[in-house]
Amino acid sequence: MHDLTQENLAQVIGVNRQTILAIEKGKYVPSLDLAFRIARHFGVSLEEVFIYEDEEQAGRVQ
Amino acid sequence: MKKNTFYLIVGCIAIALVGLFWYSDVIRMPLLIEAGFIVAVAAIYLIRRRVTDLVEDERDVKITEQAVLRTMQVFWVVFCAFSIGAVMQLLRPPPIPRGFTMAPPPILPELLSPRLIGFVQLGLLCLMIFLYVGFRIYYAGIYGGWEKDEE
Repeated sequence: MHDLTQENLAQVIGVNRQTILAIEKGKYVPSLDLAFRIARHFGVSLEEVFIYEDEEQAGRVQ
Repeated sequence: MKKNTFYLIVGCIAIALVGLFWYSDVIRMPLLIEAGFIVAVAAIYLIRRRVTDLVEDERDVKITEQAVLRTMQVFWVVFCAFSIGAVMQLLRPPPIPRGFTMAPPPILPELLSPRLIGFVQLGLLCLMIFLYVGFRIYYAGIYGGWEKDEE
């Protein structure tokens, strides 16, 4: 998407590359502020980048 | 300022502190190393603000928060237990009355002499540092610190 590396995205958003990696892996849930910044960077809405899953749903999927 | 320059300066400050510790021992003036330590830490904080390539984002802050919280939860219990014991040693509270006998109160062995308190405090400080580093590694792992890059 947008031919971006994690490093580039991290620099643009103002976070560490590890943070982008952790968000991609689902290990870290970003704050609303960071989530909006990421969505705004790609020019899409929040729901197109992030999906909310509560713990029950996540457990059922697994 | 680059990150590596900052670490170099911190190393130099640490070496200077060791020298100051030695000198304050030679002239028998502990206040010198105490003041030097405070100044050194303040200097490190000030210099750190000038580092340009050190990005501390919200994930770092969260890891730090969690590590500090857990460290303090363990540390205050250990520190309080030690401090209560140390105060007991220093104040030497009178023994509980044991009837009307004239026998002298039993002399309990001194577990912690006042001279040792400084060493034990240093030991507790080391414990706190190890706890903090351990918790940082643990929470960095939880929040995806050790994931491998797919790029």
